[in-house]
Amino acid sequence: MPRPSRNKNAIRLMLAGVLPLACASAAYAQEQSQWGSGKNLYEKVCGHCHAPEVGVGTVLAGRDLPEAYVRSIVRNGFNAMPSFPASYIDDESIAQVTEYLSTLPAPAAQP
Amino acid sequence: MSDQNTTVLPEGIDRKEFDKALEKFRALLGEANVLAQADQLMPYNKVMMSVENAAHAPSAALTATTVEQVQGVVRICNEHKIPVWTISTGRNFGYGSAAPVKRGQVILDLKKMNRILKVDADMCYALVEPGVTYGQLYDYIEKNNLPLMLSFSAPSAIAGPLGNTMDRGVGYTPYGEHFMMQCGMEVVMANGEVYRTGMGGVKGSNTWQIFKWGYGPTLDGMFTQANYGITTKMGFWLMPKPPVFKPFEVIFEDETDIAEIVEMLRPLRISGTIPNSVVIANILWEAGSGNVRRSQYTTEPGHTPDSVLKQIQKDTGMGAWNLYAALYGTQEQVDVNWKIVTDAFKKLGKGRIVTQEKAGDTQPFKYRAELMSGVPNLQEFGLYNWRGGGGSMWFAPVSEARGSECEKQARLAKRVLHKHGLDYVAEFIVAPRDMHHVIDVLFDRTKEEERQRADACFGELLDEFEKEGYAVYRVNTRFQERVAQSYGTVKRNVEHAIKRALDPNNILAPGRSGIDLDKYDGNS
Repeated sequence: MPRPSRNKNAIRLMLAGVLPLACASAAYAQEQSQWGSGKNLYEKVCGHCHAPEVGVGTVLAGRDLPEAYVRSIVRNGFNAMPSFPASYIDDESIAQVTEYLSTLPAPAAQP
Repeated sequence: MSDQNTTVLPEGIDRKEFDKALEKFRALLGEANVLAQADQLMPYNKVMMSVENAAHAPSAALTATTVEQVQGVVRICNEHKIPVWTISTGRNFGYGSAAPVKRGQVILDLKKMNRILKVDADMCYALVEPGVTYGQLYDYIEKNNLPLMLSFSAPSAIAGPLGNTMDRGVGYTPYGEHFMMQCGMEVVMANGEVYRTGMGGVKGSNTWQIFKWGYGPTLDGMFTQANYGITTKMGFWLMPKPPVFKPFEVIFEDETDIAEIVEMLRPLRISGTIPNSVVIANILWEAGSGNVRRSQYTTEPGHTPDSVLKQIQKDTGMGAWNLYAALYGTQEQVDVNWKIVTDAFKKLGKGRIVTQEKAGDTQPFKYRAELMSGVPNLQEFGLYNWRGGGGSMWFAPVSEARGSECEKQARLAKRVLHKHGLDYVAEFIVAPRDMHHVIDVLFDRTKEEERQRADACFGELLDEFEKEGYAVYRVNTRFQERVAQSYGTVKRNVEHAIKRALDPNNILAPGRSGIDLDKYDGNS
């Protein structure tokens, strides 16, 4: 289970508020995961295209896609879909989002 | 290290020399921030252009997070003559994405250098690092409940202000001309010095994001669309969130309406009555971003016939031209201007006005309203599904915001695109006096024959427009040298004199905007 992201966000906000121009501690940033949780990554990146109500990319929710497959598509890109380097989405985050997607119900079949 | 899993090298650099540089990069940045294996580099090589990936394959990628590291990178590059291609968020789809302008260049990836350094809600500005995305800024503004609004390109959430502004990209709010709203820049020069523009060089200054010009030559513009430095910080102004936002659409039935639309619109833009970067999207742009796919209507080869375009209009209620604009301010201000706007359209005698109340949650109105109020979404990526297959290049000529000119450009583009079996998918992004006439050259990149057609088509578009005195404002990496030629030899001579003075070893992105000390001969 990824750690809850709520606390991290609170701390990040506090840092940003109190120390606007100071470095928000590189060491601190390193100990957090890149996207906090699979849910967050989905909402901030993947879901902007893949959420069923958007319809740019195919629906991913509840399809039990294997992590290796997701990673391969993200790293290589796939036709209309762009690729993402690890600096943008790291392997850990891909594992988290894969797990998150598998917990979502598959959308109802369209008539 | 002998584990290099790639045979790609920078031009003129042998394996031994390159390995020496990689060793130094590792010592500077750490093992994990020097990527030289094929699978690590693959994500940087996804392009939508009409060439094979190999033409833009990087030899390595470096990730840096501090100004000192960037300084160290240019030092090593100078020592070993390593050319480096800098990206911020690297989401430059249709313009070359994250891949280098030339095969073999080392990518300097600043995505992880992503601190929001300051957002000032009183003075309404932000100061950010290269890796900051609009999505990240949006969340920051929302969480802190700041009365500010962003402006961004359609890739919004995943793109970023620094990278977009360095390519002089545009958005859709009254702050849509991004470079115009930029204020203060920090640049690592090829010699390692850290230069701050505007008021940034003054010790103890608090006006870096307040007053653009500073004193003496103002150089921010010189660094955009150029390879004279590596931008590590950028400031820009933010629009205060208005009490009332009123997006609307006007739908026009006929392709020939464009001239009258533009003539009617210009005074409204010049007077500031309509303050935002308006768009006038043609039927196929509207359809693409509304998730209509070509295959739903036809699988015939060649361009999509006009009869099909009419059928799409009939089925969807979309127009031949679809105008999106918005009003901002207090209720009183919005009401006054709404009357002026509706009167103008009534006088024109054509155009069906759609308000937000009428449109509800339907697309593409919803995504347009969001882009015009700084709410990120990626709905417009539906364009890439029109033909699918991952081929897309922006052909974006500048035009007068004059009806006859827009009509002429539209006709010319359509003729060339159809000759090559492709579609006219376009919108005009409307400033008071200029148009970014943005045409998405869409093709199936998985089909070799179609890819070649798209390549020829793009070249011919540039040629034909140039004959009429038109040139593009921005272009993909494959055509950056070609487009530099459109602007004349004297300009290129000046650009190369500056390049020689600031980057004598030609290490910063040679080839960017056609600026390359090794290639330019002063004659083209």
